[in-house]
Amino acid sequence: MSKPGETKSVATYCYQCVAGPDLLKVNVQDGVAVGVEPNFDATEIHPGAGKICVKAYGLIQKTYNPHRISTPMKRTNPKKGRDEDPGFVPISWDEALDAVAAKVVEVMADGGLDESGYPRIAATFGGGGTPQSYMGSFPAFLATLGPVDFGFGGGQGVGCTHSEHLYGEFWHRAFTVSADTPTTKYLVSFGSNIEASGGVCGVWRHANARANGLKRVQIEPAQSITAACSAEWVPIKPKTDSAFMLAMIHVLLHEHDVGELDVEFLKHRTSAPYLVAPGGYYLRDKKTKKPMIWDPAKNKAVVFDTPGVEPALMGTYTASGFEQGPDSEQTLHKSCKVITAHNKLVDHVKSSTPAWAAEICDVKEETIRRVANEFLSHACIGETIEIDGQTLPYRPVAITLGKTVNNGWGGFECCWGRTLLACLVGALEVPGGTLGTTVRLNRQVNDRLDSVTPGEDGFMSFPMNPTDPQRWEPKPNIRNAYKTLVPLSADNAWSQALGPTHFSWMFQDKTPDNLPKATSPELWFVYRSNPAISTWDAPGVTDKISRFPYIVAFAYTMDETNHMADILLPESNDLESTQLIRIGGTKFIEQFWCQEGYALRQPAVKAMEGSRDFTDISTELAARSGLLEAYNVRINKGNAGVRLFGDNYDFSLDPAKKHDAEAIWDASCRAASAELSGGKNKDGLDWYKEHGFKVKPYPQSHWYLYPRLVEHGLRFEMPYQERLTRIGVELGNRLHEQDITWWDEQLKEYRPLPGWENIPGLWEDSAAIAKGDDPHPFWLLTSRSMQYSWGSNVTIQLMQEVASNIAGHGGVVINTGAATKLGIADGDLVEVTSPLRSTKGRAVLRQGIRPDTLLMIGQFDHWKTPVAKDFHVPSLNTVTPMSMKLTDSTGSSADLVKVGVTRIGSAA
Amino acid sequence: MTRYVMVADLRRCVGCQTCTAACRHANATPTGVQWRRVLDMETGEYPDVRRTFVPVGCMHCEDPPCMTVCPTTATRKRDDGIVTIDYDLCIGCTYCDVACPYQARYKVDKADFAYSDKPTDAEEARYDPKRLGVSTKCDFCAAKIDAGLEKGLTPGVDPEATPACANSCIAGALHFGDIEDPNSNVSKLVAENESFRMHEELGTKPGFYYLWDES
Repeated sequence: MSKPGETKSVATYCYQCVAGPDLLKVNVQDGVAVGVEPNFDATEIHPGAGKICVKAYGLIQKTYNPHRISTPMKRTNPKKGRDEDPGFVPISWDEALDAVAAKVVEVMADGGLDESGYPRIAATFGGGGTPQSYMGSFPAFLATLGPVDFGFGGGQGVGCTHSEHLYGEFWHRAFTVSADTPTTKYLVSFGSNIEASGGVCGVWRHANARANGLKRVQIEPAQSITAACSAEWVPIKPKTDSAFMLAMIHVLLHEHDVGELDVEFLKHRTSAPYLVAPGGYYLRDKKTKKPMIWDPAKNKAVVFDTPGVEPALMGTYTASGFEQGPDSEQTLHKSCKVITAHNKLVDHVKSSTPAWAAEICDVKEETIRRVANEFLSHACIGETIEIDGQTLPYRPVAITLGKTVNNGWGGFECCWGRTLLACLVGALEVPGGTLGTTVRLNRQVNDRLDSVTPGEDGFMSFPMNPTDPQRWEPKPNIRNAYKTLVPLSADNAWSQALGPTHFSWMFQDKTPDNLPKATSPELWFVYRSNPAISTWDAPGVTDKISRFPYIVAFAYTMDETNHMADILLPESNDLESTQLIRIGGTKFIEQFWCQEGYALRQPAVKAMEGSRDFTDISTELAARSGLLEAYNVRINKGNAGVRLFGDNYDFSLDPAKKHDAEAIWDASCRAASAELSGGKNKDGLDWYKEHGFKVKPYPQSHWYLYPRLVEHGLRFEMPYQERLTRIGVELGNRLHEQDITWWDEQLKEYRPLPGWENIPGLWEDSAAIAKGDDPHPFWLLTSRSMQYSWGSNVTIQLMQEVASNIAGHGGVVINTGAATKLGIADGDLVEVTSPLRSTKGRAVLRQGIRPDTLLMIGQFDHWKTPVAKDFHVPSLNTVTPMSMKLTDSTGSSADLVKVGVTRIGSAA
Repeated sequence: MTRYVMVADLRRCVGCQTCTAACRHANATPTGVQWRRVLDMETGEYPDVRRTFVPVGCMHCEDPPCMTVCPTTATRKRDDGIVTIDYDLCIGCTYCDVACPYQARYKVDKADFAYSDKPTDAEEARYDPKRLGVSTKCDFCAAKIDAGLEKGLTPGVDPEATPACANSCIAGALHFGDIEDPNSNVSKLVAENESFRMHEELGTKPGFYYLWDES
């Protein structure tokens, strides 16, 4: 703490969005935080030169915001609802903690599961796991509670890049996908608004790349900040991106000689040469059960890993073997016609010409062809680069996808198209190409390279939820049924939040046939998440929240969700409390470091009177719930972020005792130091308070999976999706055995080669269009705001002030020409109506948006949150329905909706 | 001689407003007073549209019109080119506000804070009543530069001697330095790239260069 008259600079981190953390210093005068600035000590070790994002500058106002909840409170009005006054009254911390602990004990005493078999306790945290960097040791407390339902979405699934998470990890350990920006030269971005969502590292790396000659083509309906900074903007019709990519694939395969592709990569690092039998599954060797390839030298089919073979990429052959179908079905072939997977692909895209795609995408044919040709010509096939002394392929072309493109229907096709295009030129997981950043479904979570282990058929292993009759689970473990419906979602702590998280809400009203009724959780913890604003059908979700019997909200200010809470707990916030987190390595969104280690968040100022450190709250809750020993054991095992013991060190806490936050984080710091130094260094909390972070080198070569695949002799599972197809059939069999047919449309997504599906048609009212009186002629889209995203900072005046400098933040963006036709002028009040309901806001007229598209940035329409409730800014979430029909097989939906727009008032 | 200038690379700027926020912090300006801000400009018609982000603020002109019209000599130009305002001399007549072709000046007559009429602790700690009723603007963080120079640091190179906006820029778009030194970062950037200065036709000779690719 500062003394009177003292000026000091305190090192800490900001992790308000997934693109962090940023390392900063807080300037403190006489004990008051007066400013923040980059921690220039980190300039050399941070991939964004140690700079900090605009959101970090809001932390001062966040600390001194007069709207903060300054004491624990309890609800006195048992009725819950938007129009009900909660009647919150201040209570002591003792009363609040006792009340929560009593509820925990009561709920656990009834057993962890309710009558439907669902956890009685649920918890929801904000986007991308960022709240975990502020909740201290709370994860250790949660881990003592037995089953907890983490599947009530705060926006994930509908607002995240969901299909990419699942397919990305499946195909190349890519929970999120990035270009190898520093070395790439040609980047095709389908709506990836990286300049707004990539954080400091994203912006820094892309600015440097542009200066180094990167050409970025931004393909999206509305000209985003990223499009503004790109060489070219291509205004494509919403949700037609897969047609564009199919046409690119066509150009590469039908307008170029195969020798112009990376044939070596295709033959040896993909399943392109695998032979497909008449039933659509791979031809397999009877003895080894391995897929087969065609050896032209011996003129026969051999198993895929036959040493020294140069397989045929194209061709139809006659061979013998068997097909492994679903549910152990095998089809023997004494002699059958087989075709290479690559040949299948070539045939598959024969008719997907640029001319064909042009009509679907509303983009000129020559533009599509040129982009495809530029992608190929920039690929530098055959060239290599030295990284950490290793010679690696150099393929400086990449494709990235953004929200709305890579979630919901069409996400499968787009993720496949992106990954396949990279494979065709050998640009997947090599320098300059398309890379994954991190893993969340696979393990080990801290190093995606170590997650690469050999699986079946020459591919990487993947922790798929089983679909065989013996192991498939007809009874979901949580309300969103991820394990039952989505094999790709795997089954770990993150999986619950990566299933169809909107189902947790949807099923509250009506659970589909033959699933146990989706109950309300008896105890719901919520932190840094406001589902009453951030999910679709936000008013509908608000109603469902109001039915939850007991809600404990860690609360910064009042908001639309904690309006329904029973207990409000004000934690000491960003600049007031302590936590140690892991930094470095590779992580979303463009966090590619050459260092790894730990960074400390520490109190720069005295905590607000009435608040408590989250770690101390967690310890008290554990102690009062009779869970202290189990809680301490969890901390020792690493549930607070650092395992406290290792091969040659042990800083474990005494499980029987209560430890304050300082003691817990001191032990964590010492363990972190020991871990980084092989047990030699034991620097504790005081050292981290002075220095802020500690790192050791992390090799750049670990950014790329390719060397690890070569080491293990593995291949990328591209282009042919034999495994997914089989799993889809098996899943269908299991569901049908339970008389579940409402997932049948989703099952159709499991197919070997994705093609064009009329994705936009899912949203369109074709009957109304045919009659010429479509009441919803516009596509409404949303876009990330760097100033607001994930920061829980809509109450920060500075953020609102600076965000308003960026066009569109104040209302609904509409094409100037389209607006003029409707008699709408800039600043006019308009009503935007979907089939669900309407939202109102000011029109922002811009040229940089398609005439058939509207844009609402961020998530607003607040009615309770201080400051924000006076914005009167419309929100896509208000008018977007949750719907089974609009949910894809991964359990995600795309954040867009068809709407009409009407002028209802003049400019203010 | 020394002349400090700012260089903004329009090819790098993403309009994030981090510089705006950093300036508000560093200079404790009141709500809405943005000595540094970034314009979001759109040109052309759909579909041939360009969107450009343009950092603006005081241009620290070599021939500043604001100084010429100042009746009290409150606005001055230092030997190093930085244009300053002496709040003790300024009478708030706003002639300078009108004369400035860059809309870089602000005048606030009543104390205004982020959340109400009452300052937060942070605002109270930085509150300066001298700023009321006078014209204010960017001074390239002159006090920081001077303090840095006293320590032997180089403005534009050492963060401790560099304006907050340039320090904060996450795109590497803003650069600060001595344009009279041919070896400085800014001199090299201007020499090696196409550049322009805003409203150069007015003859103010701004100390703010924009890098771009004219083609």
